Amino acid sequence: MDQMDERVKKEILDHTEDSHDTLKDDIWNHIDQELFQEKNRKEKQMKKKRKSKIIPIIIAVAAGVMLLFSTQTDTGLALIKQIKDLFEPEKQITQSIEGTDEETDVILQEGKDAKYVIYIDEERYKLVQGEESDIITTKEPLEDKYPEVSMEIKQFKDISPEEMVTTLESKLPTEYTQVTETESVKEPVVGYKLHGITGSEWDSPVTNVYVVSNNNGGSFVITEKYFLEAAEGHGARFYAMLQQFEIVK
Amino acid sequence: MQMHEGIVQDIKKGNRDAFRNLYDEYAGYAIRTAKAITRNDELAKDAVQEAFIRVYRNISSYDPKLSFSAWFYRILVNECNRLLNKEKKMVPTDTSLMENTSQLIERSKESVADIYGIIQHMADLYRIPLLLKYIKGFSEKEIAEILNLNQNTVKSRLFNGRKLLRNQLNWRENEYGPNGRTS
Repeated sequence: MDQMDERVKKEILDHTEDSHDTLKDDIWNHIDQELFQEKNRKEKQMKKKRKSKIIPIIIAVAAGVMLLFSTQTDTGLALIKQIKDLFEPEKQITQSIEGTDEETDVILQEGKDAKYVIYIDEERYKLVQGEESDIITTKEPLEDKYPEVSMEIKQFKDISPEEMVTTLESKLPTEYTQVTETESVKEPVVGYKLHGITGSEWDSPVTNVYVVSNNNGGSFVITEKYFLEAAEGHGARFYAMLQQFEIVK
Repeated sequence: MQMHEGIVQDIKKGNRDAFRNLYDEYAGYAIRTAKAITRNDELAKDAVQEAFIRVYRNISSYDPKLSFSAWFYRILVNECNRLLNKEKKMVPTDTSLMENTSQLIERSKESVADIYGIIQHMADLYRIPLLLKYIKGFSEKEIAEILNLNQNTVKSRLFNGRKLLRNQLNWRENEYGPNGRTS
């Protein structure tokens, strides 16, 4: 450090001093109450109950979407969908959006380097191919007041799904305040699912991250981003599109 | 700095004393950092509190082989930014300043009274790496981890930030003398 650095450091430390540890003690008292005191634990449980009302609704909608898809997807197509050329270029799916069944036309799209295919609801979304990943985002840009809505698909050729999950488990809590335990899933894709959310307001950011094997020692990481109020809209639509995600061998 | 496996295990088990020790070790600089980033004691208090709560609740996701400081400060900086966004007090990152540094200096000349004021008038892309460097003495590699940036990007931002700072200090000293008073 030169003379200027020493001077700058001293001034910053002078300006940010917590005299007599006032803030430090105050913050600890709040943390102690929130995490360790019995009285607060009860309040926390009540808060959790209030928040948890939202989760069953999301699960119920997701389950509804799953059921509809399992009955209406062309099972014959499933048998041959490893061969890219045999995918239907366009098809109609029925999805349950905010409690209403909706017929939606979806268009076949090829991912980066033709390593996967996915059907996109092109009335609402577009697939943007980037250098390192593909991003499905809203066709019309959202107003500034809305948090990001997107679904990124990225391949990591040399990182196994398990290694990728370990990395994401460290990264996600730095970006979201509540992160649920990683789970193995079979829907909408076969792989691992990580979920994070910050807050319980209408615009609280939500993420679902799916880690799928690329069947060659690497992984595909699919990162959905939306906000709480959009869970039954964009969230359900991403889920439905992801059910059509197939790796091309 | 890596976190000792034993402390992590104790915190995972809900050991209050272990967590208090960790708090005592990290709170001082965390408060300074949050105060500097948010420029607001109340927001800083909320950010530090929430960061420690998140650390406690997510300690199982921390890999003890990695730098605990970088992991903790990443949570803290994200929390500061989240609260600033929520308060709609976020100083916009004006990318034009990257190409037009004289604009930043001109703007700063009007209102800064000391070195701290000069830094606080910088765009966030310089301000936050500089604060991390000067407050806690983080290396470029650690700042890159905390801010999720490429190390070369951090190197360049620190270089340009310090250059701006030096220019501004020289200008002030020529204008007002070494003590910052009008001659």
